[in-house]
Amino acid sequence: MADDGPSKYITLVSSDGFEFVVLREAACASPTIAGMLRNQMIEARTGRCSFAEISSIILEKVAEYLSYRLKYKDKLDVPDLDIPVEYCLEMIVAADFLGLDEQMA
Amino acid sequence: MANRANKPRPIRKPIMNKEVSEFEPCWDLLRSSLVDIHTKNASRLSFEQLYRASYKIVLRKKGDLLYKRVKIFEMEWFRDHIMPVITGLVSNNLVSTALVQPSGSSAHERRETGERFLRGIRDSWSDHNMSMNMIADVLMYLDRTYTAEYKKPSIFATTIGLFRDNILRNTLGSAVQDLGEPFVIFDILNAVVLDLINMERDGDNIDRNLLRNITTMLESLYETDDELEKQKLYLTVFEPRFLESSRAFYRNECERLLRESDTSTWLRHTRRRLEEEHDRCGTTISHLTAEKIAAVIDAELIVAKLDDFLGMEGVGLKNMIDNDRVEDLAIVYNLVSRVDKTKMPLKNALQRRVMDLGVEVEKTLRETDFSNPPANVAADGDDGGDKPKAQTLTAAAQQTAAAIKWVDDVLRLKDKFDDLCVTCFNKDLVLQSAVTKSFSEFINLFKMSSEYVSLFIDDNLKRGNKGRSDAEIEVVLDKAIVLLRYLGDRDMFERYYQKHLARRLLHGKSEIETEKELARRMRAEMGNHFTHKFDGMFKDMEISKDLSDNYRDHIRNLGDADSKQVDLSIHVLTSNNWPPEATRSSQDEGSKGKGKGDCIFPPEIKRLQDSFFKYYLRDRSGRVLTWVPSAGSADIKCVFPKVPGKETGPLSKERRYELNVPTYGMVVLMLFNDLADGETLSFEEIQAKTNMPTADLVRSLASLSIAPKARVLLKEPATKNIKPTDKFGFNPQFVSKAIKIKAPTLNGVSKVEGEEERKETEQKNNQTRQHVVDAAIVRTMKQRKNLSHIQLTTEIITQLSSRFKPDIGMIKRRIEDLLVREYLERTEGDSTVYRYLA
Repeated sequence: MADDGPSKYITLVSSDGFEFVVLREAACASPTIAGMLRNQMIEARTGRCSFAEISSIILEKVAEYLSYRLKYKDKLDVPDLDIPVEYCLEMIVAADFLGLDEQMA
Repeated sequence: MANRANKPRPIRKPIMNKEVSEFEPCWDLLRSSLVDIHTKNASRLSFEQLYRASYKIVLRKKGDLLYKRVKIFEMEWFRDHIMPVITGLVSNNLVSTALVQPSGSSAHERRETGERFLRGIRDSWSDHNMSMNMIADVLMYLDRTYTAEYKKPSIFATTIGLFRDNILRNTLGSAVQDLGEPFVIFDILNAVVLDLINMERDGDNIDRNLLRNITTMLESLYETDDELEKQKLYLTVFEPRFLESSRAFYRNECERLLRESDTSTWLRHTRRRLEEEHDRCGTTISHLTAEKIAAVIDAELIVAKLDDFLGMEGVGLKNMIDNDRVEDLAIVYNLVSRVDKTKMPLKNALQRRVMDLGVEVEKTLRETDFSNPPANVAADGDDGGDKPKAQTLTAAAQQTAAAIKWVDDVLRLKDKFDDLCVTCFNKDLVLQSAVTKSFSEFINLFKMSSEYVSLFIDDNLKRGNKGRSDAEIEVVLDKAIVLLRYLGDRDMFERYYQKHLARRLLHGKSEIETEKELARRMRAEMGNHFTHKFDGMFKDMEISKDLSDNYRDHIRNLGDADSKQVDLSIHVLTSNNWPPEATRSSQDEGSKGKGKGDCIFPPEIKRLQDSFFKYYLRDRSGRVLTWVPSAGSADIKCVFPKVPGKETGPLSKERRYELNVPTYGMVVLMLFNDLADGETLSFEEIQAKTNMPTADLVRSLASLSIAPKARVLLKEPATKNIKPTDKFGFNPQFVSKAIKIKAPTLNGVSKVEGEEERKETEQKNNQTRQHVVDAAIVRTMKQRKNLSHIQLTTEIITQLSSRFKPDIGMIKRRIEDLLVREYLERTEGDSTVYRYLA
């Protein structure tokens, strides 16, 4: 997989070890993840981005959001992404970390 | 409630718990990874870890400390690891060759040292650039929050700017002191790059890619960390120097070319240089410079010596035009239109050339006339036409030939310049109209142009009958219209054309359809007014044809089977539409005192005239018909009786011929009907009996008694001239192979006017113009009521410009005349303003 150029998919790993496979294109909506994949460090070489301080519950939502964002890019009548109220605070922290907070307008 | 409060707790807590002291461990981590990044050992680092470290520092509000630390780290890195390498590349040799005039060293040597130096710069730049990109990514969170909040330049801008401050602006300390002037590495860099570019211009091969890397670097660096678009080092430092150096280079080159080579070489060279420089922007330096360097070439290589090159003796623009050097001219056009939207230099040169060639045409014409005395008509062969006429028409025919030669030459010139416009000048409108203007200028300088153009048309339409295809006629018509466009004094042309057209129509010399077609085109070109009279002429011809037919029917219906009845074909001309020559019976009044009044027709003809007039007045009362014998012709059936004593040969039989003669000739011949054999009539007797103008009579007698083709009269003495004392008798021995004989006519040929005649025509034309000017003034004043002298004059000139160029003096005189006649008055107070008096 390493030899045929970069794979279309990358893996996001949560602090508690859960893995989420998402499209590279979707993941790069986060400048932080894009930075990880751009520079020749561990993440770029392995295609795996580990987040030591994001739990699986939150990272799952992040992965869902990234796919959701790619799917409905440039579309009208977009359905809401359901985020349970109890996760909101943590989601905001994660969004800040991932640089996803500024571009959501 | 309690349930809910439990949930959002976990992640945030640990972060908050860690204390301020966490900065140092985080920085240590970052610092060691910065070293790894610079030494290209980044692959084992975890981006997430580093990012998180900087993230935490920033969250602890230590962003400014991190910012400073990174900056200091980079500066130290430059000082300790990069500068030694660069300083090593800056040898004394390099500095002296780059900054002082390169004298001792060979180009090859210079290129080697120079390229080595540039490569060093490029390598350290690309390392730095890459590292800075990586670091900026790692410190992304710092940029997003701290730098944005405090409006500082991004961490990337700051660290990349260090390259500028530490490398390019490095004064090299004590490295090279003996050169006096302070300088920085950037100076050396520029000098080396420019030297390399100049080497390439001189034909060397250089490492374009390397130069492109260097210029790209300069494009990514700015004067300050604010990174203003206009403050790229490329634009602020490199480009001005590049342009200056290029300017000097091309100035020298241009002077050298002017000294050592010719216009054609210069043209090609300049074109090549333009291409080269265009090419260079993109492969070697930035696209941003493309227009500016082109402007330098425009100024130094084109504009600077443009006039010198174009005017160069024997190889300049004149020579190109004369020899149809289309490729060179096309380059000239391209270059000139680059530097001058109005294309002045080219335009002027073209105009001058057109004028000169035009005047030359006129000059050769005059010389041809002088070098060809009337004797060698044969040389002018193509026009000498009918042999019997050649003798008597020599002068006139030659004049006509001259007119046609002039028109042909002008048309050839016109074709030539049209071709140039299409092939070389991209059908440029400015140039085309300039050329057109010059054409009409020189054509109008030539006094006889109006007459010559009309003669040209005359000649072509007359010959048009003889098996020419429609396409050929088309070409001739087009040419005629082209020339017509150039003529300024169209009223003069109208006058001549009317005269020539009248001759052609009355003598049936041309195809009526072609005539109409030409008139139609003139109308399209000049407007209804211009062809008004011609249309009237055509109409007269049509009506006359019907009239003749109807009259013939009328006579037949009378049942008067008179064998002596004369068949009549008549042209009734409306005197307004036709030139006075055609509608007045004679112009020769005063030539001999005699000939005044109308010609006396033979009784048969007289009867015919009366009969027709009566018929004509049946439908139209109150009209007056004037018979114009000078414009008509007659077919006469002649019977030559057998000559007594001749038993063999043609003379032994009775001979019948049909003789076609002008009306005057017919009148003369009819006199001999009543004469007994052997009797003669003297010139004076004939004149007394016919009341013919002397000149017409001389012409008629000459054609009937001198030219062998139709010598039905015998002259005594048998000389070649007609004298008033000559006697004429019937020639019973006349023999001809043809049954139908056309007596040579003298007035059917359109010939050039003599000096006297032309003056007369001009005078007449001037009179007409005066009326036209009068009318224009009155019309204008009636409409405007008050006008100043200048306004009025301008208005009149504009109004009349389509017909002729009014003379200002004439306008003034006409205004004065109208003042006297009280159509206008000067206003009180301001005597330059006129008022219209109703």
